[in-house]
Amino acid sequence: MPGWLEVVVRGVLFLFVLFLTTKILGKKQLSELSFFEYVSGITIGSIAAEVMMGLENNIWHGIIGVAIFAVLPFFVEILSLHSKTVRDVVEGKGTVLIKDGKILEDNLKKEKYTTDELLQLLRGRDVFKVDEVEYAVLEADGKLSVLLKKDNRPLTRKDLDLPSINEKEPHTIVMDGEIFDEKLASAGKNRAWLKGELDKQNVTIENVFLGQVDSSGQLTIDLYDDKIEVPTPQDKPLLLANMKKCQADLELFALATDSEKAKRLYAANAKKLQESMDVLSPHLKG
Amino acid sequence: MTVGADIKQCLATIKSIEAGLSSLAINTNAEDEQRLFHEQMMVIEEIKQDLMKRIGEVEREEEQYKGF
Repeated sequence: MPGWLEVVVRGVLFLFVLFLTTKILGKKQLSELSFFEYVSGITIGSIAAEVMMGLENNIWHGIIGVAIFAVLPFFVEILSLHSKTVRDVVEGKGTVLIKDGKILEDNLKKEKYTTDELLQLLRGRDVFKVDEVEYAVLEADGKLSVLLKKDNRPLTRKDLDLPSINEKEPHTIVMDGEIFDEKLASAGKNRAWLKGELDKQNVTIENVFLGQVDSSGQLTIDLYDDKIEVPTPQDKPLLLANMKKCQADLELFALATDSEKAKRLYAANAKKLQESMDVLSPHLKG
Repeated sequence: MTVGADIKQCLATIKSIEAGLSSLAINTNAEDEQRLFHEQMMVIEEIKQDLMKRIGEVEREEEQYKGF
């Protein structure tokens, strides 16, 4: 066999072997979270490259080498799944670098991190002032996890005392003009509904590049033809606007009428509508 | 526009709100949202009943507002 052909054969073979190895080891291998994953990742790659290009190497030796670095971490993973001690030794533990807003210099020294490197990691988490940090841990994989002080955390609905809204994940039901029935079913819809919604917006399914439906059953689409302006769903804001208009009308009627009984009826209903609006408006906005 | 017509227009809007809430209740997947929309639809329904009663009174009192 000529040399170049052998390189081709070995290349294809090892690509296949590496593919299988990572499939067996799973997603955790790709994340390189622990020492074992990091080392085996590097080594498997080097072995594959070495055997592929160095034609004097035995191909089976290469495959055995790869297998060792796949099988051993595999068993260590299983062992560490069952034992916390093994886990701590193999995968390592996080080191607290900032506690109660103060930098722990001893731990920093132990991990051999300089102040500059700490600042760099903090900047990577969008923190430019150490003062903003309450607690920070250097994780086993070298990433820094940061808990900001309460004052510096982003505002949430809870902070504003807004009623809680339970929103489910959106489903992607159309991709490249192709309908995914399975996704459609998990969104609780069917093709007839989709056709109806598309007809409402005056587009054909062939023109839809991407279609998503959110938990409240609103369909948002992106078209192949970018010149066509797709209207954003207006059902909910329109409903809210209608409620506001009606509420104002009722109040107006209450003022305009001479009959005392009618006045009371209008006022009571205006109040009812206002209460209903208050409850609904968080759900109807956006 | 006359008072009668104003009220009838308001009634029409109320009906459309009721229908809108009903369709939202059917379309949404989140159960608590479903319940909320349904409950509010009932409230709107009550308002609708009151308005219809009032329209009946207005029509009886003043003959010229009659008719839909």
